[in-house]
Amino acid sequence: MAGLVENISLIGDEIPWLKALRRKGEEAFLKSGVPGAKTEAWKYLKPKELATDDYVFSCGGCSQKVKQEIPFSCYRICFENGRFCPEGSFFPEEIEVLPLIEAILTKSSEIQFWLKQICDLNKFPFAALNQKYLNEGVYIHLPQGFVLDKPLVLDVHTSCEDKNLFSNLHNVVVLDKSSKAEVVEYYHYDGELKSHYFNNVVNQIFVGKGANLKHIKFQNEAFKASHIAFSHVLVDEKGLYDSFCLQRGADLARNESRVILRQQEAECVVNAAYKIDGWAKVDTTTDVEHLAVATKSHQLVKGVIGGQAKGIFQGKIHIAQDCVATEGNQLHKALLLSDEAEVDVKPELEIFADDVKCSHGAASGELDEEQLFYMRSRGIGYEEARQLLISAYFEEVFALLDNQDISNWLKSFL
Amino acid sequence: MNKLDNIIDESGDKYKYGFTTDIEADSAPKGLNEDIIRLISTKKGEPEWLLDFRLKAFEFWQGMKEPTWAKLKYDKIDYQDLCYYSAPKQKVRPQSLDEVDPELIKTYEKLGIPLKEQEALAGVVAVDAVFDSVSVATTYRAKLAEQGVIFCSISEAVKEHPELVRQYLGSVVPYTDNFFACLNSAVFTDGSFVYIPKGIRCPMELSTYFRINAQNTGQFERTLIIADDDSYVSYLEGCTAPQRDENQLHAAIVEIVVLKNAEVKYSTVQNWYPGDKDGKGGVYNFVTKRAACRGENSKVSWTQVETGSAVTWKYPSCVLQGDNSVGEFYSVAITNNHQQADTGTKMIHIGKNTSSKIISKGISAGFSNQTYRGLVRVAPGARNARNYSQCDSLLIGSNCGSHTVPYIENRNKTAVLEHEATTSKISDEQLFYCQQRGIGEEDAVSLIVNGFCKEVMQHLPMEFAIEAAKLINISLEGSVG
Repeated sequence: MAGLVENISLIGDEIPWLKALRRKGEEAFLKSGVPGAKTEAWKYLKPKELATDDYVFSCGGCSQKVKQEIPFSCYRICFENGRFCPEGSFFPEEIEVLPLIEAILTKSSEIQFWLKQICDLNKFPFAALNQKYLNEGVYIHLPQGFVLDKPLVLDVHTSCEDKNLFSNLHNVVVLDKSSKAEVVEYYHYDGELKSHYFNNVVNQIFVGKGANLKHIKFQNEAFKASHIAFSHVLVDEKGLYDSFCLQRGADLARNESRVILRQQEAECVVNAAYKIDGWAKVDTTTDVEHLAVATKSHQLVKGVIGGQAKGIFQGKIHIAQDCVATEGNQLHKALLLSDEAEVDVKPELEIFADDVKCSHGAASGELDEEQLFYMRSRGIGYEEARQLLISAYFEEVFALLDNQDISNWLKSFL
Repeated sequence: MNKLDNIIDESGDKYKYGFTTDIEADSAPKGLNEDIIRLISTKKGEPEWLLDFRLKAFEFWQGMKEPTWAKLKYDKIDYQDLCYYSAPKQKVRPQSLDEVDPELIKTYEKLGIPLKEQEALAGVVAVDAVFDSVSVATTYRAKLAEQGVIFCSISEAVKEHPELVRQYLGSVVPYTDNFFACLNSAVFTDGSFVYIPKGIRCPMELSTYFRINAQNTGQFERTLIIADDDSYVSYLEGCTAPQRDENQLHAAIVEIVVLKNAEVKYSTVQNWYPGDKDGKGGVYNFVTKRAACRGENSKVSWTQVETGSAVTWKYPSCVLQGDNSVGEFYSVAITNNHQQADTGTKMIHIGKNTSSKIISKGISAGFSNQTYRGLVRVAPGARNARNYSQCDSLLIGSNCGSHTVPYIENRNKTAVLEHEATTSKISDEQLFYCQQRGIGEEDAVSLIVNGFCKEVMQHLPMEFAIEAAKLINISLEGSVG
């Protein structure tokens, strides 16, 4: 396969609405192509390398799955090399969990309703590409009032060594009224993986009235991999979408969240952290839209950049007309550890209502020499002192995670 | 309040400066082509190299597209429907103010800044008054000349100091820079030229008042300021325009070159006609302003009060090339009715130990929309660069919009960059407190807004600060209640 667009036959092409949806995705992607420096939303990441690489769709399924320990009690849904693995997956019976294509075939009208609520894809080229190959992924549905007792981990593992795998996951997560869940997305790889695989993920998340979703993502892809993810989140009245994304790996990565607070008193938290080095380019993009009164959003993003890496943060808070009594705040901080490191930040406010409280801030700098000196003068070695300062720096954002087990697990990777 | 009422009564409208002067204008036919550019050049008796510069710019411009990235909505401008040259008819250049057309003097008197009074002020301010496109009267040149300061119109500078103009024109804003700057480079008619020699502290504040007059004449000013080593100058620019229904285009360029240890302070009060309360008419203001701090310890400071224009597109920038150079940007922008402003700054840190400060205050009322758009870029070699940015917005009414789009690009770990922005409305508590003490609602709003802007206003020279405070009140009239 050359490039990203290929005509492969997918299951379900005979279903008219699905075929139309896939075609719409293809058209949108072909129209925009792989974005470059001239596309405002992608001007810092410039993922041009994705346009030239050769990718393959499949490399052998999930036979040789190496199960990685997750050090906390959880339910699990496994994907291996872009394919759903029923063997490793376990979850409570009360919730509905189906591979996406099975959901399309068996619950056509329901899944169609959710899939069609995705935003206009003309501005989201990789989400459009994802829709063209709509097939793999998972559909998770929590019934009204159900409270999930343990975190549900979406374990996405890549072990394909010899070819450049393109995997295209599309997940739909629906939380009915007053339900509650904690979902952890975990992207990782095997050993010394050197292939340029590309994970292109779209999540469609629906938080119902009074529902509460904690969404944690840990992106720890192989050092030559590419990872582009887009989460489209709709939050209803008094619902809470509380997310945190840690990006640690990949050569080229983008985690984009578009959260739409569409009913009154909906609330969201979009926090993130990244620690990168080498030649990595890692992008955190958020777009929070306040479309109803008394909605609230909070964002805190902290990054540490070493080597010749490039950290990017693009955040936008949009407040529609008449959405009074809204609150939105956003803060990005970056620490540069080396001379070649780079950070590009664009925090944006777009406000059309007057009775609002909105703020954003951005700061960047290096480790404080005086703090380092203070520790070294007390007998702590240079490297150790640096590590201590870096972990203290991240603590601000990790302290906001209330699941201590998950917080400790994530911190062990820093 | 009485004073304000008087002003409104006098002009018969809320826009104090809405009047036109009847002076026969010597205009070129509408449209833009090579012949028009040659005509402008010939009329002004320009040397060959300047005509070449214009023609190159025009050629480049034809291949350019009008930018659409700003959050601005306006009717498409037909560049062929504009007149690119208009000069007041005068056979002999006046030697003193007495010889100047009395109609012109009246115009300035209505503006509240008469030249006569300026003269009486005995050397406080020098005025290079620009009427339409050609400089008419320049005062206090003799006194400035004693110090070696050159303050004249750019057309005179081309004739009398061609080496300076040739060396610096287009060196800060090349004609390839952007669509509007390129257009200006092709058709600029006049503007000011300032040269401050080595070691001279300019003895007075230099000032230019701009006025758009003849109907359908775009104004294409070009200002060039050069501050040589160890010099200092404070330059004031104020704009008013008469009331018109058709939109008028204004695409100016201001270039400032600051050499070693020199300092330039550039202050602007912009109150071009903003259009009526339904958004009809008003000036389109697309300005490219940039200062290059070329030497060590050089400093440039932009202060602007933007209350006018239907559309404002303006980003006064600082290129901090010299080590230890400093850039500052203080801005108050007020939009009311259907005004739109997309304004901000760029701070490009290239030299070591450079620092910059951005204070931007935006007030939106009525149906207006305002955007702060700023860039702070630290180049890899800019060790110990420092930036602090603060952008606050105030919204008055539920139909206006306020947006903040900062870009921060850091490529040096020793740089310390901070940006903060807030958006809020005038709190009911503040209003209540004032009203409880017998201050009317409108006055209370002015009081609060003036307090909100204070940080910026205190950087304006005194003459300007008074005019600016008045302007803020006029601009916000009718926005409450």
